[in-house]
Amino acid sequence: MVVLLSRLPATDCIKFCHRVVDGLCGREPPRRSDHGTTWSPEEWLQLLDSLSAFFRLAVGSNSSEEEVLGGLADVGSSHAEAVLSVLRARREEIRDALLDRTNSISSATLQDFDWQLRLSLSSDKISSLHTPLLSLSLDVREDAALRSVTMEMNREELNTLISSLEAANKVVLQMK
Amino acid sequence: MEEVDKILIHALKQVGTEVSEETGSVKQFSSELIVEAVVRCVRVIDSGLGGALPTSLPPGMSARFRVGMSLAQACQDIGYKGEIGYQTFLYSNEPEIRSLLMFLVEKLPRESAETSDQPQGKSAVLQRAIAAAIKAQLSVPWLPPNCRLPLHSETQSPGALHRFHVQPLSLPHCSPGKKQLKEVKDYHRDILPPVTAQPSHHASVVASILEQHTAELSAAQEWDNEWNSQGLLSRLKPQEYRSRKLTRLRKRIQEQLRSAAQPSPESALGGPRSTCDLSELLQAFRGSAPSDHILTKGSHFTHTQKFTFTQTETSASIPFVHQSDGDVQLRQQEEQLSLQQQLQQLCSEVDQLTADMKHMTVTHAQVLDELKQRELGNSENVEKMQVKKKTIDLLPDSDDNLEKLKALVEASAKRVVNLASQWEKHRAPLIDEHRRLKEICSKQDLESSKKLSEIKSLHDKIRVSTEEAKKKEETYKQLVTELENLPQDASRLAYTQRILEIVSNIKKQKEEITKILSDTKDLQKEINSLTGKLDRTFAVTDELVFKDAKKDESVRKSYKYLAALHENCNQLIQTIEYTGTILREIRDLEEQIETENGSKTVANLERILSDYKAIRQENSALAAKVREG
Repeated sequence: MVVLLSRLPATDCIKFCHRVVDGLCGREPPRRSDHGTTWSPEEWLQLLDSLSAFFRLAVGSNSSEEEVLGGLADVGSSHAEAVLSVLRARREEIRDALLDRTNSISSATLQDFDWQLRLSLSSDKISSLHTPLLSLSLDVREDAALRSVTMEMNREELNTLISSLEAANKVVLQMK
Repeated sequence: MEEVDKILIHALKQVGTEVSEETGSVKQFSSELIVEAVVRCVRVIDSGLGGALPTSLPPGMSARFRVGMSLAQACQDIGYKGEIGYQTFLYSNEPEIRSLLMFLVEKLPRESAETSDQPQGKSAVLQRAIAAAIKAQLSVPWLPPNCRLPLHSETQSPGALHRFHVQPLSLPHCSPGKKQLKEVKDYHRDILPPVTAQPSHHASVVASILEQHTAELSAAQEWDNEWNSQGLLSRLKPQEYRSRKLTRLRKRIQEQLRSAAQPSPESALGGPRSTCDLSELLQAFRGSAPSDHILTKGSHFTHTQKFTFTQTETSASIPFVHQSDGDVQLRQQEEQLSLQQQLQQLCSEVDQLTADMKHMTVTHAQVLDELKQRELGNSENVEKMQVKKKTIDLLPDSDDNLEKLKALVEASAKRVVNLASQWEKHRAPLIDEHRRLKEICSKQDLESSKKLSEIKSLHDKIRVSTEEAKKKEETYKQLVTELENLPQDASRLAYTQRILEIVSNIKKQKEEITKILSDTKDLQKEINSLTGKLDRTFAVTDELVFKDAKKDESVRKSYKYLAALHENCNQLIQTIEYTGTILREIRDLEEQIETENGSKTVANLERILSDYKAIRQENSALAAKVREG
């Protein structure tokens, strides 16, 4: 389905492919509205899927440039050249993204986290409390869906969490 | 004295005494003010002592007297050595009060003035202010968004809070060692948007950049730590250390996977069977690269299973298109049943086949081993046979051949000896060389370990000194803030200047005094010499005139005059001396009068008299009451 690429002029093709790779690396993918009516929605999806699959395959199996050109035989030579140059430029980035994905091969992975420090001045029973509380929210990716896990900890609980995380980091360091 | 009084009044104000602006010196202090100031000072110095004392004088005279007595007692308890009694407070005189107040102000604890100014500390005040603000905000009723005034929107709308979400960024890294591809450069130059434009939401720019930097920084720090703690000891280059660690890790992972992949009898179905399967699995991951986010775990077996299943289904579903609906359902059920049976059959077949295959591979390996062993035995046998064949060939001409053999053996023995001597010749220098190299090696080892320990100690030192520097910086900052917070009104500079001025004045005065002293000494000397001269001239003149006086009457007269003159002059001098001493006495007395005037004796006497009268009146009133009672 990479053939659909030949509807773009060769200069735009490089930009478009870079945007596709951006999407592959976790940034914003290209939008169909930017390209007007060049493709139908179905074709658009197909093109995106096939292009990203192509990039993944090329980087993942570490294929040589001849093999890549062979895979692009049905697209025009200038377009194939453009795709190849994009691949050359972004090979490292795609590789990192793929490695990242392979690393998160488990049912739930930590995507991101955020924290807020709060000072509770008083409660309904105690007039002056002055206890700092940390509310930590973890964004966990579970079966392709993002789930937010929020917890609130006082100083001791936070210390236990940090010490256990440090122990985990020590193990990770041995693997680096 | 004015400066001292200013300092005293400032200190007293800090303690809490209400000194009005007009009072500029201790002279103007009234009895009430003195009592209040002393009581407040005593309270700050020793709260137990000062707690019982009232800050103002009571109206009754006898009560006043008692208050004065107790105050004097308290001051003596604190350690005041000077003369003190009720009269110090009730009938004050300036120098006594000044010395008492100076003693008390010196006794004041240094912090007490400030602590009494801000009794709770800044953080408590701030927290109270926060609590008050929150309470006020909570008491404001909630309003729907359209009715909010700008005042409310600040506290009631969620506001422009952004979650700290991170998106991956792409930054061009330029390492000097590596040469970049032309395409990469082009990409960085032409297409890569600036960092601020990379994230989809503008709000996550800061978060993303911060996250990226902390990640890189912590990675660098961790590597630094590891390299300093373990890497240096291994005496390898960084790359070598890394690669060694990588291979070690790979080995460990391989062992782990192998042990996990051992076929257990329970998990015959599903799960990776062997390392061979696992590598195929990995191959599958790389090749197919699914677009969903979680990679599904599957084995070669499940793939084949799927494959056979779909194939049979497609091949089977074609012939039954033209049937009627009921028939079709029945047929389909049957079909399903049969297909399931078929599937099970196929599954079991596949299982059997895989088991067979494993068996076969094992037997194949065994057979191969056997074959190799056989081949080895074969080649050995062939060699043996050749040796035997040669001996059989040599048998007919045995004697001759024996001689030849002997000669050959001798020659070879000689050659061996020769070679051995040659070897010895070569060996000795080589061994020496070896020893030398070994020594060098051990020396270098020693040196390098020394240097390593040096490096380690240097690292430690660096760490320690950075910590110290940090600590010192912190203390410096703290001190700076403290300095800024110090009260500016106690003009230290003015005081020091004043002190310096006073010191210079004293110096000047001292110089003048010494000058005057030397002048008086000179004068004394002159006077002494003059009196000596006078005595001598008088004696000479007296003798001369006395000699002549016997002969001449007029001379006798003049002698009388001389004696009278001498006597009169002596009297004159004595009188002048007397006047001097009297003048001095007068001055002393004047000073005494002044001091007496300063201590307000007359006024105090009058007050004492009036107070005495008041006490008598009180006493008589009390006596009258007693009589009435």
